[in-house]
Amino acid sequence: MAEPTPAVEIKGLVKDFKTSFRRQMLRAVDDVSIRIMPGEVYGLIGPNGSGKSTTMKALLGLVAPTSGSCAIFGKDSLKVDSRNDVGFLPENPYFYKHLSGAETLRFYGKLCGLKGKHLDDRVSELLALVDLENARDRRLGGYSKGMLQRIGLAQAMIQEPRLVILDEPTAGVDPVGSRQIRDLILKLRERGITVFLCSHLLEQVQEVCDHVGIIFRGKMVKEGRLEDLIAIEDQTEIIIKDASPELISQITALVGNSTTASLVRTGKPRTTLERLFLRETTQGKDS
Amino acid sequence: MSSITEPIARGSHFNRILVIAGHAFTQLVRMKVFYFLAVFAVIAIASNFFDLPQHEGPESIGMNVLRSIKSWSLGTMTLFSVVLSIVATALLLPKDVEDRTLYTILAKPVPRFDYLAGKLLGVLILVFVSLAMMDVLMTVVLQIRSSMILTQQIAMAQAQGWPQDAIESLRAETAQHGPNWALQGAVFAVFLRASIMASLALLISTFSTSTLFTTIVSFLIYFIGHFQADARDAYLQAGQAGEGVFARMAALVFSLVLPDFQNFNVIDAVIEGQAMPLMVLVKLSLIGLYYALFFTIASWFVFAEKEF
Repeated sequence: MAEPTPAVEIKGLVKDFKTSFRRQMLRAVDDVSIRIMPGEVYGLIGPNGSGKSTTMKALLGLVAPTSGSCAIFGKDSLKVDSRNDVGFLPENPYFYKHLSGAETLRFYGKLCGLKGKHLDDRVSELLALVDLENARDRRLGGYSKGMLQRIGLAQAMIQEPRLVILDEPTAGVDPVGSRQIRDLILKLRERGITVFLCSHLLEQVQEVCDHVGIIFRGKMVKEGRLEDLIAIEDQTEIIIKDASPELISQITALVGNSTTASLVRTGKPRTTLERLFLRETTQGKDS
Repeated sequence: MSSITEPIARGSHFNRILVIAGHAFTQLVRMKVFYFLAVFAVIAIASNFFDLPQHEGPESIGMNVLRSIKSWSLGTMTLFSVVLSIVATALLLPKDVEDRTLYTILAKPVPRFDYLAGKLLGVLILVFVSLAMMDVLMTVVLQIRSSMILTQQIAMAQAQGWPQDAIESLRAETAQHGPNWALQGAVFAVFLRASIMASLALLISTFSTSTLFTTIVSFLIYFIGHFQADARDAYLQAGQAGEGVFARMAALVFSLVLPDFQNFNVIDAVIEGQAMPLMVLVKLSLIGLYYALFFTIASWFVFAEKEF
C-alpha cells in the first residue's frame, strides 16, 4: 500500500532575516527538515529564539523561505489553498475584543466559507468542546487568558482542519487552564487530527506528543519518537504498590546476587508539583 | 526569495471580502465613531444662526444662512470623512499585526488581496453610512430653513407688488440654494475624496509600522493634493525647465500618482448655489475610482510580499 501524504513536510528550510544594523543577515532557521504523518502529535521544542515560531510561520506562508520548501498535505505552503486543511493558534493571541466568543467563531467560520446552519452547529459544537458555552455571548475583552487560548483553539478548528498548529498554546496560562488545553490536544489526537505543537514547556510536550524535534540556534539537533528518545536502554523500572520492607530487601538481595545487573536506586516515586497543585486546587473547587 | 502567492481557496473572493468588510465596519462602529454625529447635529443647527444682516430686497433674505448651512455642513462632512477614512484605515492594519489577529486570519484560506480589500471596503462603508446620515440631517435642516425663507421672500415680494413671473423666478432661485440634486452630488464628491484618502492610507499602512506615521503622511499628501496642480503648472510654465520631455513626463507621473484635489472644488460652487453637471460627477467618479484602484493594487503588491 502506498504511504499516505505527510500532513507536514518541511525540506531543508532556511530562513534569513535582515538585521537593522548594517543590514547583516541573521539565520533564524538553518536547514530544518520535518516530516509529520497524519494523526501524529509532533512537538517542536527549543529555547526562546531558537527558530520554532519562524518554522511554523514558514509552514503557514506568513514568511517565505530563503531556501527549502514547506508543504501541508502535499500542497505548497505559499499557496492559499494549503490553508484549507490547517488551523493555527499563535502565541499570545488577542483576537478582536469587541466580538463575543460565538461571533469570533462565526467570523473565522465565514472566512473559511462556512455558512447557515452548518456554521451555527459548528460554533455550538466547538464552544461545547472548549467548555465556553456559558461565555458564548460575552465579549472577548472580558475573557481570562485561559479562556482566550481556548477560544483560539476553537477558531483554529472551525473548518474541521486535518492539521492544527499550536505555537506555545499554554504560554501565560495558569496550571488549571494549561491542563484544560492539554486535555483538548489529547482530544484532537483521539479524533485523528494531526497536531504540530511548539513549546518550551518540556513536561507538557512529553505528556501529549508522540514525536519530538529539538531545535537549537536554528538547527534541528535531535528528532524522533518520544519513547525512543527518552528511554534509558540499559535500565528497567518496576513500580510496586504497598511493598513491605521485607519484600524490598528480598528484591535488593536478588539483584545483588546477579552477576550482570546492579541496583541503581530505590525509593518512593514523586508526583510533580503541577499534579500536586492541580489536585489541591481542583479539590478546593469541588468542595 | 520566493514570493507569497495567492491562488485558489475555499469560498468566493467576494464573500470573504464582504465578511472582512462587515467585520471592519462592526469593529469601527463598536469604537463608537458615530458619536461625532451628535457634534455634526450641533454644527448643522448652529449654522442657522450665522445670518449676517442683508436687506436689500426679498431675493437677499436668508441667502447667507442657506449658504452658511451648506458651507458648514459640507465642511464638517469633509473634515469628518477625511479624518475618519485616514485614521480608521491607518488603525486597522497595524492593530491586527500588533495583536497577531492577522496571523489567525492569514492562516485561514484568505488571500491577502481579500484581506486588504475587505478592510478598505469596511472603512468605505462606514464613511458612506456616516455621510448619508449627515446628508439626511443637513437636507432636513436646509429644507425647513429654505421653506421658512421662501415664505418670507414671497410675502415681502407680494407686499412690494412683484409680478407673478418674478416671484416664480425668485422661488426657483431660492430652490437652487435649498436641498437639491447638486447638493447630493457634492456630498458624493466628498465621499469620493474620502475614498481616495482611505485607499492612500491603506497603501501607506502596508509598509509603515505605526499608525501615527501613516496618519501624518496621509494628511501631508492630502494637503499637497490641494495645490499640486498649481505647482505642476507653475513648473511647466517656468521657462526652459518645463519644456523638456523629461519634465513633462515627470509632471504626468506626478499627477498620476498624487491625486489632484482641486478637481473637487466643484463642491464650493455647489455651496454658492451653482448646479453640478452630470458629466462633472462622472469625471469625479472616474478620478475617484482610478486613484482608489491604483492605491489598492499598489497596497496589494507591497502586502503580498510582506512577512510577519
